[in-house]
Amino acid sequence: MLELQGVTKRFGDTVAVDNVSLACRRGEMVGIIGRSGAGKSTLLRMINRLSEPDAGKILWESREVSRLRGDDLRRWRRRCAMIFQQFNLCPRLDVVTNVLVGVVAERPLGPTLFKIFPAADRARAVLELDALDMAHAALQRAGTLSGGQQQRVAIARAMLQDPDVVLADEPVASLDPVNAEVVMEALQRICHERNVPVLVNLHSLEIARTYCTRVIAMAKGAVVFDGPPQGLTPAVLERVYGRRAGRTLEPLPAVEAA
Amino acid sequence: MTPADMDQALELSPRAVRPSWRDRVLRGLIGALALAALIAMAVDVGVTPTALAAGSGKLATFLRAMIPPNAGGELVRIVRALGETFAMAFAGTVLAAVAALPLGVFGAKSVVPQPLLHFGFRRVLDMFRGVPALVWALIFVAAFGLGPFGGVLALAIADVPGLAKLYAEAIENCDEKPLEGLRSAGAAPPVVLRYGLLPQVAPLMASQTLFFLESNFRNAAVLGIVGAGGIGFELEERIRIFAFDEVAFIVLLYVVCVAVLDTISQRLRARLA
Repeated sequence: MLELQGVTKRFGDTVAVDNVSLACRRGEMVGIIGRSGAGKSTLLRMINRLSEPDAGKILWESREVSRLRGDDLRRWRRRCAMIFQQFNLCPRLDVVTNVLVGVVAERPLGPTLFKIFPAADRARAVLELDALDMAHAALQRAGTLSGGQQQRVAIARAMLQDPDVVLADEPVASLDPVNAEVVMEALQRICHERNVPVLVNLHSLEIARTYCTRVIAMAKGAVVFDGPPQGLTPAVLERVYGRRAGRTLEPLPAVEAA
Repeated sequence: MTPADMDQALELSPRAVRPSWRDRVLRGLIGALALAALIAMAVDVGVTPTALAAGSGKLATFLRAMIPPNAGGELVRIVRALGETFAMAFAGTVLAAVAALPLGVFGAKSVVPQPLLHFGFRRVLDMFRGVPALVWALIFVAAFGLGPFGGVLALAIADVPGLAKLYAEAIENCDEKPLEGLRSAGAAPPVVLRYGLLPQVAPLMASQTLFFLESNFRNAAVLGIVGAGGIGFELEERIRIFAFDEVAFIVLLYVVCVAVLDTISQRLRARLA
């Protein structure tokens, strides 16, 4: 179980994440919604420890990951796979090397610096790529791929991390609807097959409703709703997105990204 | 990872699973060749440990003679010479920038799309770039006599090709989208350049020019040695009479000035970029 207890993050005078407490069980697919600047990204980044919480605790299976340092921290990051809106691949490296980044946290430094990996790692990388129909591009530079293809490479990288938790920060916001579907289905599959919690930041309510079993809504850094997607009534949405959204969102297809 | 999985992966992308050893060996070979060439060249020009050992005794004497650094009662003269060097660098850079601006614009592929013209233009710039500032300084000092005038001209002429090339590249690498946006609104070509291009390239060009000013301040010392005035002249005079304590004083002061200039220019460039 992933637990957040009173997690807070400030940037100067603004409180990005305000005293957030929540718990996610294994196999839960959690959509996090809210306006831009509501603290969704910061929340996910703190779980991976890309960002340090100013207060509160983050626990995984009762172990306080918000206090890890050094090698332990890197091992936690590996087990807590992150998927980004802009994919965050290394564009000049080939696809299979980008996927192999998923194991570098636990491989010896010397060979890794020379891009030497056990054949078994490379084979796994190719198989994970194949599961997302990307094996044909294994030796291509990642920067030459389209957005949808790059996001699939990023998911293959996440799979090689053998994740205990998957965090996805707006994974489909820069993708066309077909690629968005491919990516969301892949996340759903990871959630079920590996039985891990998946936290996805989303701009699209429709996608949250279709794929998530639970929705958390944030406004001004605080959680204002936590429940099944059916609970997202117009009144709730008005609290999340402000007055205009509540009025214009019938029949609530999607909310524009800022 | 079962053998069947491995077979499947090998079938999907054999090269990704087993990277070719030929490539790696080849890369290693190229590295070894480069190392061998480096050693051969070092031996050829006499860069050997024995040569280092032979000269280091004298070097140590010079170093000892440098302590403590001493202005030799000519602080005012030294500071004035430093100021002169800075003035040379400044004037040279400004002249170079003024001359390089039109050359840079015409050197940009996006402005002069004709490939033959572009190629010819760039090669002419390259030709001038091949002549070091020191050679220009020697020529100009011979022509205009001893003093900073020759130095300023030498710095300016030596910088023009490099600056023009950087300006041209800044123009070529600019983002086309704002220009397209202006054209789509019916803007005339000069307006497209003024609104779309200039705001993009001006900070870049200013930052490159500042960088040239920094390096010119450093280079100007060398020019002084061939008679173009400034701090280089003062240095040369004292090295010749082995007044190393005064040399050390000038060098230290010079280092401080370079550091100050670098810091100011770095701040300015960070703000511009």
